[in-house]
Amino acid sequence: MKISFPHMGHSYVALKWLVENTGHECIVPPEPSSRTLDLGVRHSPEFACIPFKILMGTYLEVIEKGAEVILTSGSKGPCRAGLYWVMHQYILEELDVGVKVVAFEPPLCDLKDFFQKIRWVRKTGGLSLKEFVQVLRVTWEKLKAIDEIEKLSHEIRPYETNRGETTRKLWQALDMLDAANNEVDVEDALQEGQKLLQGVSQDRSRNPLKIGIIGEIYVVLEPAANHYIQIMLGEMGVLTDRSIYLSSYTSKNTIENREGDVLEVAKPYLGEAPIGGHGANSIGETILYAQNGFDGIVQLAPFACIPEIVAKSIMPAVSRDHGIPVLTLFIDEQTSKAGVQTRLEAFVDLLDKRRQVKAKRGIERLVI
Amino acid sequence: MIKGYLGVDVGSVSTNLVVIDDQNQLLAAQYLRTSGKPIETVQKGLSAIGEDLPADVEIAGAATTGSARYLTSLIVGADVVKNEITAHAIASSALVEDVKTIIEIGGQDSKIIILREGVVTDFAMNTVCAAGTGSFLDQQASRLLISIEDFGNYALKAKNPVRIAGRCAVFAESDMVHKQQLGHNTEDIIAGLCEALVRNYMNNVGKGKEILAPVMFQGGVAANAGLVQAFNKYLGLEVVVPQHYGVMGSIGAAILAREASRKKGSTSFKGFNIQEINFKTRSFECKGCSNACEVVQFFENNELLARWGDRCGKWELQAM
Amino acid sequence: MSRIGIPRTLAYFIYFPFWKVFFEELNQEVIVSSPTTREIMDDGVRDAVTDACIPIKLYHGHVADIASQVDYIFGPRLVSVRKHGDFGTETFCPKFLGLPDMVRLSMDNIPEIIDVRVDLKQGKDEFFKVCSRVGVFLGKSEKEVKKAYHRALKVQKRFKKLLYQNIMPPDAMDILFAQGERKPLIAQPDLQIAVVGYPYVIYDDYINGRIVSLLEKENVKIYTQDMLSDKIMNRQARNIPKSMFWYFSNRAVYGALHYMQQKNIDGIIHITAFACGPDAIVDRLLEIEAKRHGQVPYLAIMVDEHTGDAGVRTRVEAFLDMLRFRKDKS
Repeated sequence: MKISFPHMGHSYVALKWLVENTGHECIVPPEPSSRTLDLGVRHSPEFACIPFKILMGTYLEVIEKGAEVILTSGSKGPCRAGLYWVMHQYILEELDVGVKVVAFEPPLCDLKDFFQKIRWVRKTGGLSLKEFVQVLRVTWEKLKAIDEIEKLSHEIRPYETNRGETTRKLWQALDMLDAANNEVDVEDALQEGQKLLQGVSQDRSRNPLKIGIIGEIYVVLEPAANHYIQIMLGEMGVLTDRSIYLSSYTSKNTIENREGDVLEVAKPYLGEAPIGGHGANSIGETILYAQNGFDGIVQLAPFACIPEIVAKSIMPAVSRDHGIPVLTLFIDEQTSKAGVQTRLEAFVDLLDKRRQVKAKRGIERLVI
Repeated sequence: MIKGYLGVDVGSVSTNLVVIDDQNQLLAAQYLRTSGKPIETVQKGLSAIGEDLPADVEIAGAATTGSARYLTSLIVGADVVKNEITAHAIASSALVEDVKTIIEIGGQDSKIIILREGVVTDFAMNTVCAAGTGSFLDQQASRLLISIEDFGNYALKAKNPVRIAGRCAVFAESDMVHKQQLGHNTEDIIAGLCEALVRNYMNNVGKGKEILAPVMFQGGVAANAGLVQAFNKYLGLEVVVPQHYGVMGSIGAAILAREASRKKGSTSFKGFNIQEINFKTRSFECKGCSNACEVVQFFENNELLARWGDRCGKWELQAM
Repeated sequence: MSRIGIPRTLAYFIYFPFWKVFFEELNQEVIVSSPTTREIMDDGVRDAVTDACIPIKLYHGHVADIASQVDYIFGPRLVSVRKHGDFGTETFCPKFLGLPDMVRLSMDNIPEIIDVRVDLKQGKDEFFKVCSRVGVFLGKSEKEVKKAYHRALKVQKRFKKLLYQNIMPPDAMDILFAQGERKPLIAQPDLQIAVVGYPYVIYDDYINGRIVSLLEKENVKIYTQDMLSDKIMNRQARNIPKSMFWYFSNRAVYGALHYMQQKNIDGIIHITAFACGPDAIVDRLLEIEAKRHGQVPYLAIMVDEHTGDAGVRTRVEAFLDMLRFRKDKS
């Protein structure tokens, strides 16, 4: 079968390997472009959020390339994303494009359904259970390695002396991971890639501003949706860290001293958690970043994102109490790169000035 | 010789140029419509402001701001490029030292900047909606067949401003037409429009911000006395409209130019006579990898001045 | 005795009878905000986060309306009303989950919010426990709470019974509490239309442009999802690939699907609120389902802070013309 899936950051490297090694043909989803968005907007409800529209466009693009099956995920809510596959399927049926949407719901919701779908993918590919488990294992290692490499690139970019070098090295490292075919290969490629990135010529005397990126998972993870905000900030000389990576392994390690439960620290502000999506996490992570010496927070969310709107309304109080500025960017199809850039530049100016004032006064924290 | 510092603010609607001296005094100013042609407009503006300037003024620094700031910096030869939010904050605090709030409404965007003790602590810009911007008033003025310059005077004569509802320009317009049909007089409708704009601005851009005096109101729209009155009424205080409300962004840029050129000890300014120079942008799609970035090239008289748009830095070439 | 304020929006239209009786039995004074007005709408738009949907802004406005007259705002955190042991993950919309916090942190000078958590999945007698927590907060004994609880349940049951007789909730409340006359049901309706959507939109006359009285004047018999028993509604869950996550949305979807299958229903009107997240899905789903149910006429009306009566009227009249035309032809 010709199988495709949503595009989300660099995860396609691992997912492509998974599909191909399960005995299927992979239609690799293209990086979302303005065409993707146009297609998506045309066929989506007006008030659906931008992830819905980009995915809609991506599905139509992979269908053009011959995809017969689209694998995606569901969720138990209450964020809308868990219902997207339902609507995508409805709309694709109306368009009569002859594609099957197969959504994996969390095993906790419906264990039987989950295993039936997994089994179907495996059997149609002609793999034994043992072979399939091995394929999954390598895929998982790849996902982790991709996240680690990307994370390292964000740590190095603010120090680079030649613009773009980090990005180029990151791509080389991803190519090496792409070529890896077993767990040993992946490990080697990861180490090789890390070496490459560390070899980027850097000015370590810089003391970059530190910004934590929080918000809704899709616009945080998909650079094409957020106008490559982490690269943009990195090239402005800002060190960024984000709380969400696709592999949960790394997500546990993204904020130092993260043992303190994110949702627990959010409690004084939000009496209910989770509230769907990453709404409650956004509150908690802002507090943790503030406690870990970050200079500012950028909250990324799709326009009309329900959980992040709740978070945004609470954010001024969090920002005030913890003395950390927060810039909220709601993204929709009309958001322009120039608009994002202007706001980020002004935000970085603000943080920079704050840091200078703080240093002058020699106080720990400046409450605005 | 007197040292002058040039600030250029190129937005989507208007292009403003100023030259200031060491005491922040305005030596010359030019306002032009950008009309979708930033390069030509800047060239025209530069030559005009050059003619305005007294002969004993020498440009010792230049800076650009506004949405076309990067492109413009190449044309002008800027010593520094700054976003318009910071530029506005710099200009206002140079004028009123303890300014705490800046309301800026331009042609297509509007912003609020919150300062405490001379430092920007918070800001916001309007999102996609035009209801809180100058173009909204322009549209309605032309609908009412009144020149935008007279708008404010009409508003001041209103006795009972009508309430015009509207989250966005289209809705506000249909509500306005409805009120006209009900027979309200023009003065009350115009005052109502001013109040609607202020309400929209406060409910969107100004939402949740602590607005403390002194409040400065700037941007082209600040010429409108009706709006000033509407802001005063809404906020319950007197907003300050600076003398050069329309060019505050470029004044901020000029101040930054002074700082930057002093630090640098020289200026990259190319001079006023650049009208004969042929500036051009051309772009191509890079085939280096699957990203297919659109690389923009900027030429000065067929000489490649800068290139941008690539994500990997492979084509990197920047004049500054 | 304390004065308890209840905003006349969101869950008010479905659960007010219970809480009114409950509080009054506990010797509290219940103060309800006035029906939505322009001022309430304006206050809500001013106080609530810009990106919120209209109903959430309206809620802020209703809180502002009574803030100075009451000792407490009764604003329970509605998490889920799924019964214990019921499989499923249905909750309320995330904005409901965070609502007490949103109101508390974005409004000044408001009284304490009684934000007791309502999550009936927790256990069999969770609803009584919720009431107990409210009672204890007000300094009442278990015995008093129990008595009030049972009285309130009884009235709520009568309320539901009235709804099942095709009476609109505001009219049913009049019958229960204001000794209002039963409005005579339309005997010979021209058309029968199902109006589906969230209770706080379809029963709030101001926000929906008086669509109900408009339809009644046109001799239309109105059905809403709230006139259907849970049993009838839940049957519809099987007819869609996956249920919504949100209680009120599922009610609108199930109700609409049920009415699409009824021969006597001439058309469906879905009233949806501007910037409502769940409705981005609900509305398209209903539109497609109406088509698949043999082209049932379907009209979606989106209301926002400045929906004029005129705008709604034009659309509704055109829809009714279309339905009458269809009827005449067949």
